[in-house]
Amino acid sequence: MKADKTVVLASDLCKTYEIGDAKVEVLKGVNLKVGKGEFTVISGPSGSGKTTLLNIIGSIDKPTSGKIVVFGNDLSVKDEDFLASFRCSKVGFVFQSYNLVSTLTVAENIAFPMEWARKPENYIKERVEKLLEIVGVQHRAEHFPFQLSGGEQQRVAFARALANDPPFLLVDEPTGNLDTKTSLKIVQILQKLKGDGKTVIVATHDERIIQLAVKNCIWKMESW
Amino acid sequence: MNDLLRRKLQTSLIVISLTLCVASTLFLLLFSEKIGFGISLMAEGKLTAGFSTLFSRFIIFTGLLIFVVGAVIMSFMVFVMMSQRVRDIGLMRAAGCPNDVIFGYFMTELLVVTVVGCFLGVVLGILADFASTSLFSSFGFQISQKSVNFWLVLLVFGLFFALALIFGAKPILDTTKVAPAKALSPSYHFGVSKESGFRVTSKSGLTMKLALRSLFRHKSATIRIIICLVAVFLLATVGIAGGIIADQTTKSWIEKAVGEDIVLIAHQDMCNQYKLLLSKFYVANETAPINYTDAKYSISEDILDRLSSMSSNISGIDPRLVLEMQVKELEGIEIAPGTADTYTVVGDSHEGNSLVIGVEPEKVLSESLLEGEFLKENQSWEAVIGDSLALGMFTVPLNQSISLRGEAFDIVGVCLDPINNGNVTYVPLENLQNITGVSKPNIVMVRTNPSVNRTAVLNHIRAEVKGLNSEFEVFDLNEVLDKNLSFLGYIWSTIMFLPLISLFSASLCLIAYVMLTITDQRQEFGVLRALGANPKTIVKIVSGQSLVVLLSSCAAGIAFGIIVTLLILVPEPLITGFTVVEISGWLLTALAATFIFSLYPAIRFAKKPILEIIT
Repeated sequence: MKADKTVVLASDLCKTYEIGDAKVEVLKGVNLKVGKGEFTVISGPSGSGKTTLLNIIGSIDKPTSGKIVVFGNDLSVKDEDFLASFRCSKVGFVFQSYNLVSTLTVAENIAFPMEWARKPENYIKERVEKLLEIVGVQHRAEHFPFQLSGGEQQRVAFARALANDPPFLLVDEPTGNLDTKTSLKIVQILQKLKGDGKTVIVATHDERIIQLAVKNCIWKMESW
Repeated sequence: MNDLLRRKLQTSLIVISLTLCVASTLFLLLFSEKIGFGISLMAEGKLTAGFSTLFSRFIIFTGLLIFVVGAVIMSFMVFVMMSQRVRDIGLMRAAGCPNDVIFGYFMTELLVVTVVGCFLGVVLGILADFASTSLFSSFGFQISQKSVNFWLVLLVFGLFFALALIFGAKPILDTTKVAPAKALSPSYHFGVSKESGFRVTSKSGLTMKLALRSLFRHKSATIRIIICLVAVFLLATVGIAGGIIADQTTKSWIEKAVGEDIVLIAHQDMCNQYKLLLSKFYVANETAPINYTDAKYSISEDILDRLSSMSSNISGIDPRLVLEMQVKELEGIEIAPGTADTYTVVGDSHEGNSLVIGVEPEKVLSESLLEGEFLKENQSWEAVIGDSLALGMFTVPLNQSISLRGEAFDIVGVCLDPINNGNVTYVPLENLQNITGVSKPNIVMVRTNPSVNRTAVLNHIRAEVKGLNSEFEVFDLNEVLDKNLSFLGYIWSTIMFLPLISLFSASLCLIAYVMLTITDQRQEFGVLRALGANPKTIVKIVSGQSLVVLLSSCAAGIAFGIIVTLLILVPEPLITGFTVVEISGWLLTALAATFIFSLYPAIRFAKKPILEIIT
C-alpha cells in the first residue's frame, strides 16, 4: 500500500478515562493503518475500546496520547472548526444507537448534512430520494425517528452517513441491536458500500460482517 | 434520595432554579416593602395626597406583579422537572409497580426537592435583602432599616411550596393514568405524528428549523415559559415604561402647577412664606403664622403699573391674594347613573384650615387641574381645591361645595398643586376680596418672556420693585421648581430599582430554563456536533429558541404593561416622542441583556467535548 493511499494512520494511541478517582485505560498503544478503499473490521469483546477507537478516528474524541492522522490531517492538533468541517465532508458516521435527530423527519435527517454542506436544493432532493431507495425506507420519509423500528432507524442512519458521499465511513456495531432478518439488510448495505469502493471501518463481532473484510484488515482488540 | 443523588446534574439544576425563584421573589418583596417604607418615610409630611396615592399604587402593583411572576416561574420549573420523569414513570408502571407506590415515590422526590429549594431560596432571599439594604444605604438612598417581615417570609415559603406540589403532582398524576406503553413512548410527550412534505432549507434555515421544531414539540413547556416571560416583561414594562411615564407626567404636573419662568413679587415676609409653602412638597417644613391681611403686604397699583409697562420682557401678570382660612365641607347630591331624579346626599361637614388663593381666572399663569375645570369668571361663586384637601375632607368633591366665611363656593375642579402640599383652595379674587374685606392682592406673579436674558430681566424687575418699595422682593420660582422636580426624580429612581432587579432575577430564571432545555436536547446537540455542526451552530439553535420565546413574550408583556400603566397606574399620562424613544431604549436594553444572559449556558455547553454531550 502506497503512503498517499493511506486514509487512517494511528500510532501508539492511548486513551484513559477518569471516573472519580479511578483511571480506566481503554486504549493502550494502538497502531492502525487503513488504506483507501479498504473494508476494515475491528472486532473484540465488549469494553475492549472499539467504539473509543472509532470515536478517535472520527474526531469526536481525542486520544490521551499518540497520534491519529486521517487523510493526512493530524486530528489531535486541529481546532474544533476544522474538525466540524472535516466530520461533515470527509466522514460518515453510523452510531450503534442510531442517534437520529428526533426533531427531524427521516427525509430531513438524511438531508441536513447536505444542507450543512450547502449543496444545491435540487441535488439534495434527488440525493434524499436515492438514499431512501437504497436503504429501503421511502415509505417512512415523513415520519419521525421514534416512529421507526430499530432496523429502520439503523438504515436511516446509514443513509444519513452517506448523504455527503463521504470517502470514508465509520460504522459502530451496526447489527448489535437488531434481529437476524433485519441485520441481514444492514449486511447487504455494507456489501454494497464495499462494492462501491468506499473506505469503511466497522466495529463489530457479527461474523457475517467480519467475513466481508479481507484477512489483513481484521483488527482484533483485547479486553483490558 | 438515592435517585436524586444519582441524577446530580438534573437535581442540582432544579434545586438551583427553585432556590433562585424563591430567593428573587422574596428578596424583591422584602426590598420593595423597605423601599415603600423608605418612600413613606421620605414623604412623611411632604408630597400631596394625589402623589402619595400614585406612588403607593405603583409600589403595591409592582409588589403584586413580582409575586405573580415568582409563582408562575416556580410552577413552570416544577412542571418541567416532573415532565422530564414521565418516561421513568412509564418504565416503573411497565415493570409492574402499583400506581400508589409510583405516586408516593415521585411525590417524595418532589417534596425533597421543593423543601430544599424553598428553604435555600428563603435563606438566600433574606441574605440578598440584607446585602442590598446595606449597599443602598451606603450609597445614601433612603431605605427603611426595619427587620425582616417574618409573615411575608412564611407566606412566600408556604405559597411557593404549595404551588410546587400542585404543579409538580399534575404530570405525575396524568402519567399514572395512561397505559405504560404510551407513557414509555416518546410520542406521548412529543405528541408529533407526521410532518407533511419535505422541503430543503438553507444552512441558516436548518438552524431555525431545528430551533422551532424543538419549541413546538415541547409545546407545553414553551407555552409555560412564554407565560412566565410575559409576566416578567409586564413587570419590566410597568416598572420601566410606567416609571418613566409617571416620572415625566408627575414632573409635568409640578411644572404646570408652579409654572415655568415665573417670578414671584411680594413683600419679603410673604416671599419667604410662599417659598416655604411651595417647598412643603419636598421638605417637611412647618410654616410660621403670618398675618396675610397685613396692609404692608399689599401689592400697590404702582407696582402693577410698572410691571405692565415692561411688556417686552413680561408676558403675563397674575396678581393673587393669599390667605389662610377656616374652610368647611358642604354636602352635595349625587344623581344615580341612568336616572333623572334618584339621588343621594354626599359629604359631611368637615372643617379645617386651608390656604385660600384668590386669583383673576383669565390671568392665571399656572395650570394644575387633575379633574373638572378651572375657574372661568371673576365673579362666579366657584372654587378649585387641591388634591390633599379633596381627599382629606370631601367625599365627591365635584358634587359638593366649600364654605368660606359662610359663603358657599361650588367646587368645579380638583388640582395637583405642590403649594401647602395640596391643601389649597382657589377662588375668584374679587369674591375673596368681598368676603374678607381685603382690597388688594398680596403677591403677584409674572412670567418672563423665554426669549429675553432672564438674569438681566430679573435684575431689572428687582431694581424697579425695590425703587417703589424697598421691603419687596423678587424671587425666581424656577429654584423651587427645580428642587420639587429633583425630589420627584429621586423617588422615581428609587422605585425604578425594583423592575431592574426583578429583570435580573428573571434573567437568572431564564438561564435555568435554557439549562433545562439544553439538558433535554443534550443527545440531539451531541449528534449534530458529531455529524459536523460546530459549537457556534449549537449556540445559534439555542439562541434561536431563546429569541423566539423572548420576542413573543416581550411583545405580549410590553403591550399588557403599557395598557396597565396608561389605564390603571398613571391618570392622564404625558407621552412625548422622547418618552417613546427612552422607553424603547430601556426595554430593548432589557431584552438584549436577558437574551445575552440566557446564552451563557448554551455557550458553556457548546464548549464541552462531543463525547461528554452524547453519552
